[in-house]
Amino acid sequence: MAQNDKYKEIIKREMAKLTKPVKIKVFTSQRTEVDGSKIRACMDCGQFMGLLRIYEDNSNGMLTIEELSIDNNPEFAKRYDIQRVPTILFVDDNGRELIRYLAAPQGGEIQPFIQSLFTFAGAPNYYEATIKQNLDRIQPSIIKVMITETCPYCPSVVATASQFALASEGKIRTVIVDIMANPDIGQYYDASGVPYTIINDSKTLVGMVGANEILRALIGGNIKVQY
Amino acid sequence: MFNIDMESIDLEKTYDLIVLGGGPTAIGCAIYATRFALDVLVVGKIFGGLIATTHLVENYPGITSTSGQGLMDMFKDHMNSLSIPYITDEIRSIENADDHFILHSFFQKFKAKSVVLATGSERKKLGIPGEEEFAGRGVSYCATCDGPFYKDKTVCVIGGSDSAAKEALFLSQNVKKVYIIYRGEEIRAEPINKKRVEENHKIEIIYKTNIVEIKGDNTVKSVIFDNGTEFEVDGVFIEVGAIPNSDLAKRIGVKTNEKNEIIINRKSETNIPGIFAAGDVADAPFKQAITGVAEGVVAAYSAFDYIKEMNIEY
Repeated sequence: MAQNDKYKEIIKREMAKLTKPVKIKVFTSQRTEVDGSKIRACMDCGQFMGLLRIYEDNSNGMLTIEELSIDNNPEFAKRYDIQRVPTILFVDDNGRELIRYLAAPQGGEIQPFIQSLFTFAGAPNYYEATIKQNLDRIQPSIIKVMITETCPYCPSVVATASQFALASEGKIRTVIVDIMANPDIGQYYDASGVPYTIINDSKTLVGMVGANEILRALIGGNIKVQY
Repeated sequence: MFNIDMESIDLEKTYDLIVLGGGPTAIGCAIYATRFALDVLVVGKIFGGLIATTHLVENYPGITSTSGQGLMDMFKDHMNSLSIPYITDEIRSIENADDHFILHSFFQKFKAKSVVLATGSERKKLGIPGEEEFAGRGVSYCATCDGPFYKDKTVCVIGGSDSAAKEALFLSQNVKKVYIIYRGEEIRAEPINKKRVEENHKIEIIYKTNIVEIKGDNTVKSVIFDNGTEFEVDGVFIEVGAIPNSDLAKRIGVKTNEKNEIIINRKSETNIPGIFAAGDVADAPFKQAITGVAEGVVAAYSAFDYIKEMNIEY
């Protein structure tokens, strides 16, 4: 996981603007040794947490990252059905999972991740009014967005899908999957092109898709406009 | 970027200029318009536009070599330095309300005294059996996005343009073999890229051939040529040109030509006062990022002039 200086500067600059507290959960694999020290067992977890600490350290204390170990906190791992590590979860005050990351928020994915943090903390959500207007027509849904680190259009789709989840009062869950890091998931869906968006494991949207298209796919019909 | 700071976007006010698009034309226009002290908002479906998918940009004057994404990162930095708000959305209609326009998306409504249409173009499809069925499962329109999935595999690039040549060159870094399949007798790449293709042992060109079908099971396995030959490949990259995104323009009465490109004059004006156009969506004979940016800048200046005239009291 390359964390070059330019991206660190972006994280520092943007996270400094966070003015409301926000908390996310990160699941890693950690063992507690006999002497009480903790060791991360998964190879990527150390680098992953190092990246997330950059977000946290530059947030003026507004971002709290709760690291949970699937080894030491099995009940949480079971509750949230954590199948692999590391996993980031945005869980609201009612315990509802809104966004799940099986991807590192780095490179182009920094900005949608930061946007999600801000919205989760209470910043206005551009899509909120229309999502709420159409919420009764959306069944409980999961949007899975397959991405790669180098995909130029993936951040846009991730941003939209994440904002939808955050506006949906728990009805929409968004899962972001780096399929180079999780090739079995990509193979399961036969995805060899990104962004690759799957809604409820039934509808597939290939390539760059706008907010309209994703919302239409969720509704299965025309969008009710809120103004 | 990606409307991180919603609080900086005022949905009640009438902007001086709303620029539609997310590519270099739109961003270049917005930068100049902001420097003209216009109140600007950019609304684009895809930040970066088509150029973001290009792995090699060597003909943007001042920049020896970069990727399309690298170029757009520079545009993004410049835009952010001027705090120009950008929204990821798509405008579906524009109403003309005398001294301003009302722009509607499915999510919000905006008002502007002037509009620049820099909506670019999208990749043309072949329209052959299997193309849609295997989209994302072996059929791709973006080598930068999807090339890594074909490591040590055999792929084909359909098309003979400079873009097709560059796609083949990019893919050759990872794949076992690239076939450029072109209906013409000679590819139309820039001489420098044509030479690179010819010297690349992983790339082979098959001339005077069309693909009529794409076949496979869960993923692409082969293509069928127009002479009936079935040719085994693992991936098909389609690079057969682009079509202008001018549907919105046509819906609101902006004049287009027979290629559906928006007709503009040398001031980037369309037939509707207050609406300007620039870049790939407009009718320039030669389309490049730099020419699009130039038209966008002209559009910004023309919008500035237009608004200045509007604001004069008699």
